[in-house]
Amino acid sequence: MNVIKCVLKLKNSFFMSNKNSLLLFLGIGILSIFIFCGIFAPFLTPYDPYELYIPYLSPCPAHLLGTNDIGQDIFTELLFSARISLCIGFFAAFISVFIGSFVGLISGYFRGLTDEVLMGMTDIMLIIPALPLMIILTASTRPGLWNIIIVIGLLWWTSTARVVRSRVMQLREMPFIEAAKLLGPSDFYIVFRHILPNTYQVIYPKFVLSVAGAMLTESALSFLGLGDPIHKSWGMMLNYAFSRGGFINNYWWWYLPPGLCISLVVLGFLLIGFGLEEKKEHFFEQII
Amino acid sequence: MTRTSYLLYKSLRYVISFFVITTITFLIPRLMPGDPFISILGKEVYFHSPDVVRELKSTYGLDRPLPDQYFAFIFNLFHGNLGYSFHYSVPVADILLYKLMWTLVLLLPSVILGAVFGIILGGICGWKSGSKTDKCLTSGTLFIYSMPHYWLAMLMVIIFGYYLNLFPLGGITEGGYSGVEKIVDVLWHMCLPVGILTLFSTTFNFLIIRNSVIQFSHEDFVLCARAFGLSEWQILWRHVMRNAILPLITVIALDFGFMVSGALLVEIIFSWGGMGTLMYDAILVRDYPLLYGIFLLIGLCVIFANFIADILYMVLDPRIKPYSYNE
Repeated sequence: MNVIKCVLKLKNSFFMSNKNSLLLFLGIGILSIFIFCGIFAPFLTPYDPYELYIPYLSPCPAHLLGTNDIGQDIFTELLFSARISLCIGFFAAFISVFIGSFVGLISGYFRGLTDEVLMGMTDIMLIIPALPLMIILTASTRPGLWNIIIVIGLLWWTSTARVVRSRVMQLREMPFIEAAKLLGPSDFYIVFRHILPNTYQVIYPKFVLSVAGAMLTESALSFLGLGDPIHKSWGMMLNYAFSRGGFINNYWWWYLPPGLCISLVVLGFLLIGFGLEEKKEHFFEQII
Repeated sequence: MTRTSYLLYKSLRYVISFFVITTITFLIPRLMPGDPFISILGKEVYFHSPDVVRELKSTYGLDRPLPDQYFAFIFNLFHGNLGYSFHYSVPVADILLYKLMWTLVLLLPSVILGAVFGIILGGICGWKSGSKTDKCLTSGTLFIYSMPHYWLAMLMVIIFGYYLNLFPLGGITEGGYSGVEKIVDVLWHMCLPVGILTLFSTTFNFLIIRNSVIQFSHEDFVLCARAFGLSEWQILWRHVMRNAILPLITVIALDFGFMVSGALLVEIIFSWGGMGTLMYDAILVRDYPLLYGIFLLIGLCVIFANFIADILYMVLDPRIKPYSYNE
């Protein structure tokens, strides 16, 4: 149902073709290019991302973006890394939005002591500096894709919880919820059947922004050398470019493209989030 | 709710956060699979002479029950004993305090400059929201937000340090200077990293101020001030901004943790000898006591910053709302 609604909304905004939907489609355009590149990576490049060729080649027709210090083709790496970076972003955002919505729904609906405890927890999570905590968590476990996803997901839900909670607090005072209560269903039925569907309009933009945030965080963690060495992401490429001399020797084809890709994808997500948000001013509050 | 109870209520949160942070640093090394002594002593010694291991464990108190260990840990913490760094072979607290100073040297100017620029630009853009300046600056903010901090720092080094040769490529000082010359040299080295950190904190503060100026510009007192015949400029800076600045205080304190993280990454690019490079090295050699120490110290700084912000907020705004998130 909600997918259909979303598609309808996209269609409407396309035909309205105002400036905002232009931004939305720009975002979707950027994103689909990268998703396409990620999915069809093996067909877009003749090379393997882990095979070694001549090292330190500058861009030439054979190697579009040159090669790195051990001779891996950077263009190929870039395509294959899109998979990992996007996957980490999506899964981590999914976990964080799931936890955040759950906490928001419960604390907004039940109020009272539950709310106090859950929001107190959220406050404490907000105070504890997230990146350093993620660093010690990922440094203490074995480096791996899922570790990073879980760590980011578990620590990134606070803002979603707050947004969903304030939406739920508005909803629970509305007449249709009171009417639903009169029928005598359990609280959980009301929360998940009647309140949850009405919070999607705040959850979707939040999800999109969470993907952007998760990708930025992942790139920071990978840059610090905490990424999964088996699955290269754009952050890992930047880490290698920095730690193995690509930056010091100014091999622009090595350190420029991965950062550009991260920025473009994050920008794409921001544009989509901006387009999906109905109250535009609200959007800027959320990315803070 | 009175002021004292408000402060107590807030302090309770900070005390709990403090214990959460210490408990995390206490539990993580003890929950992780494996034994740190394997990597310290090597597999040979660890598996063939269990007596040595047992003896070492009892000297470090690792054979005692967990609650005992926890109290010892807290006790040590309050005595400034954060453990011993494997890599540097010195107590963690000694290195941390020295390195913290250099990080703060970067951080404080950028937080202050960022607040000033954020207030000025956010005020102008929020007051005339929808204008060309507003659109340019707001979309510029989104561009900067979407770049990884460290990558932008790399670009800045390449552009301003390498191609234009305006600023040094990294480090704190060239060395060999003393007195005033040294301060000037450090300031010169600070320009680029502080500039980048200022850029990031400006973008955040800009959005906050812009939002709250937009909110307050529809209030009745603005209409009243207009009716008095005050100029737009006076209304904005005298009356609207006084209200709009308030949320910034809390957010700056909350963002302090975010700024520290940003500073850590930017420091690495500039090989600035603060907490960031320390952490980078600690990760490379997996120097866990040092890593946990860094986390503890940053956590404490952030809690402290939040506490100060609460007091400031209380002094500046007598109309405190204890459940600010309840709206």
